[in-house]
Amino acid sequence: MELLYDRMGRQAFGLAYRILGDGASAEDVVQEAFMSLWRQAERLDPSRGRVSSLLMTLVHHKAVDLVRSRKGLSFGQPSLDSVLEQGVPDVAEGVAEDQGRQAVRRALESLPPEQRAPIEMAYFEGMTHVEIADSLGVPLGTVKSRLRLGLDKLRRELKMEAHR
Amino acid sequence: MNCEEIEELAAAYALGALPPETEGEVEEHLQGCSRHPEIADLRAVAASLAWAAEEREPPAALKTRLMSAIREGDTPAAKSERGARPVAAAGFWRRMFSPPVAPYAVAAALALVVAALIGWNVSLQLEDGGGGVSVHTLAGSGGAQGRILYIADERLGVMTVAGLDSLDVDLTYQVWTLSDGVATGIGTFNTSEGGEAAASIEVDLTGADSVAITVEPAGGSPQPTSAPVLQADI
Repeated sequence: MELLYDRMGRQAFGLAYRILGDGASAEDVVQEAFMSLWRQAERLDPSRGRVSSLLMTLVHHKAVDLVRSRKGLSFGQPSLDSVLEQGVPDVAEGVAEDQGRQAVRRALESLPPEQRAPIEMAYFEGMTHVEIADSLGVPLGTVKSRLRLGLDKLRRELKMEAHR
Repeated sequence: MNCEEIEELAAAYALGALPPETEGEVEEHLQGCSRHPEIADLRAVAASLAWAAEEREPPAALKTRLMSAIREGDTPAAKSERGARPVAAAGFWRRMFSPPVAPYAVAAALALVVAALIGWNVSLQLEDGGGGVSVHTLAGSGGAQGRILYIADERLGVMTVAGLDSLDVDLTYQVWTLSDGVATGIGTFNTSEGGEAAASIEVDLTGADSVAITVEPAGGSPQPTSAPVLQADI
């Protein structure tokens, strides 16, 4: 667990901080995520994704949950069971960690702003598609299709990166 | 909800951007319908966004707090029913001259790995050792034996040994990688009274010819001073 922390702590804290915007909450979230992983260690199945990906998914879920509860939305505890059950598939061979960081950032930057903004609002701000539509002042259907176009383009970019 | 509606919501679902009740409906549909294989891809793409966040140095206190929470025995998985036997090992290998580490801290580091070994046994059989995972058998004289499971992608090795002699306090076991006759010390460990140990190790075995374990004076040596008691060809 210490090795995992040394390797992943900065990325985990970076993600929590980006979502929450303050260090104290980000610390709590990172600690909770590591503790969840630790308590569930015996249930981990490496064939369902890397431990590091799973950790990041836990950090994301917990941080988003906290953001939503601040807004008075009760979305319930993110279900670790469902995360463990479904696993976290790797996006493509070779895309992870050091190379992955660059690849994902480049791919995200390659998106047109109207696709990138709703994706970032969903992932980094924990907004629902309805909230995104309200915030951008566009119809819900438009948000749905921009999210889809954006993710599809990201997927293509990442696959290309993996084969580069 | 029909398949068309699912397709429309797929991206928002993958990003976790649906209100809980809608999310529940999507999941219900997916459980009974195999016509949306691309959703797994979308989830993977969404999960990869975690890497787009800038890394940020957490306060040092966080690590201290986390490690002590784990040490204070928050149900270590290694001690539970499925978690094999409690592991008595010492020292994270990459800290060659590290002081003895509290058993719980070691158990903590190993919990994932012990659990993973159980899982990997299954997936190794299924996948014929694919995915950059390899298993190396440590062979030695007498009843000593062990194995190293190495995950190339993660530069992570997991060693379990048994049947070693329990050493006096002024001696230690030291682990080396050997490449072209050059020995590089990786770390030291001691066994339980029963001669068993397990440890995880961050190491790059690319280009290594073998891994060897020797008996050295406590604290470890710069170069091996005795013949290996266990050795594995890589």
